[in-house]
Amino acid sequence: MKTVLAGVHPWRHDLAGCLHACAATLLRFHGIPPLDALGSAWSFYYPPDDYRQEEYYFPCSPGRSLLSALAPYHPVRSQWYQPADAAAGWEQVRARIAAGQPAAVAVDNFYLPFRPAYHDVHANHLIVVYGFDDEAGTARVLDSVPPRFNGDIALTDLTAARDSSNPAEGDRDMFFADQRIGNRWLAAEADSSEPPGRDRVRDHLRRNVSGFAAAVPHQGMAGLRGFLGGMEERLAAGEQVSDELFVVAGTALAVTALHADWLMLGGRAYGEPAWTELGRQVKRIAHHWTAIRIMAALTRSGEVPVGRLRHRHRALLHDQECVLADMAEVS
Amino acid sequence: MTAAAAGPSGIVVDLADHFNNRGLSAVEGKGSGGFNVWSNTFPAEQLPAPGSEPVIDGVRFRFPAQDSGGADNLRCAGQLVAVPQGRYEWIHVLAAAERHSEDFVYLHFADGAADSEWLRVSDFWPQTPGQFGGREAFRCTVLHYPRHVQPDMAPVIWRHRVPVPREADLTAVRLPDNPAIHIFAMTLLDPR
Repeated sequence: MKTVLAGVHPWRHDLAGCLHACAATLLRFHGIPPLDALGSAWSFYYPPDDYRQEEYYFPCSPGRSLLSALAPYHPVRSQWYQPADAAAGWEQVRARIAAGQPAAVAVDNFYLPFRPAYHDVHANHLIVVYGFDDEAGTARVLDSVPPRFNGDIALTDLTAARDSSNPAEGDRDMFFADQRIGNRWLAAEADSSEPPGRDRVRDHLRRNVSGFAAAVPHQGMAGLRGFLGGMEERLAAGEQVSDELFVVAGTALAVTALHADWLMLGGRAYGEPAWTELGRQVKRIAHHWTAIRIMAALTRSGEVPVGRLRHRHRALLHDQECVLADMAEVS
Repeated sequence: MTAAAAGPSGIVVDLADHFNNRGLSAVEGKGSGGFNVWSNTFPAEQLPAPGSEPVIDGVRFRFPAQDSGGADNLRCAGQLVAVPQGRYEWIHVLAAAERHSEDFVYLHFADGAADSEWLRVSDFWPQTPGQFGGREAFRCTVLHYPRHVQPDMAPVIWRHRVPVPREADLTAVRLPDNPAIHIFAMTLLDPR
């Protein structure tokens, strides 16, 4: 059998990674505009020590699926599958595609010929699989992260990448190694969603402001303050926080940057310059996260001590309080 | 390299004393640098000669030469860069960021005044569009990894500019404490 699904398209945001890229492709396949789904919610949630060394890690509150956590205002959901072995892993993904649905699969870049890490370093990554050719022994894959690849690879390569133990070797790619791939794959489901509209934008803004104000453990401004303060305390005590802060900052950066672009798109679409300006303010918060992400990496060598980190955290928290106050007025 | 539009101009600022990062490497030394947290570097063979003065969009820059420690760019960490005292309208930089980023700089003036302005820099990462209206200065065709050369990755060094609205003598620029932003060269343009 041979098949390649139609309606699978690349998507990338330069301040997000493979998770949002894959989610966007799957959402679009289901007819849902990616930026509207991934950018309408702005929140913070992170329970301490929850992170995993995966490029596609995203903190999900209990009972919430990954896709639902990424796009909480849309009727979407996802499920991770962890097959018993590589054979079952391909059998399941192949069946999914044969049934007309693409799948996102976890891979180790070390085994993928189109990745720069090929036969160099191990790194946990996520790509979309949307076709196969049994006779040729190939799978059709899409990776929107540079160097973008959209084509066929040998099934043996894909299987090796999915079945990898992803060992931590050497001193590079320290953030996304040492986490077994385990042939995991993700299925996405979506119902039809409401079309975007001016009232819906205002409603989402109100919900976002309310979410940041809520007194829920590890969530909102209080959760953000607690997380950043905890990182400072642990770094000051001599603990390594680089991996955790780098990974979590990456998720916060993506969510914040997408929300900024969503607001700016809404400002243009509905003739609301105040939303565009608000989006630009939110983008400033994303830039704080960019700085924190790199600072996190540099705490490993001691190049960034806790004082520099604390200063940046303080600036982010201050600016975010200002943005949320403005957002409350605009909504 | 972008061709000069008119006669080159600008006062070159010597940044060598502030260099703290190695972002360029030759093929044989590709493991010696680390522009970003993944230890990638720009291929030096595809960039201007060290110490040369390329002209980008009519602005003359001094392309960095490695200092004694091997550094060739400034990773922003709050450095105070003294500049030749004078009236300027723009500060042009050759720069690149680890994901596009923005931050404040403080402009210090001879009369004791100081103003904050934005420094905004595009991402060096291949297949990533420029931001903030920055202009592409140099695009390479490969990216250096510590153990191999990646042929289909084309990193970019950008030209960005910071305005100097105050009509007073500029004496120094305080850079942000933001290690995502790297500066290779700086040139000041006067009102003429």
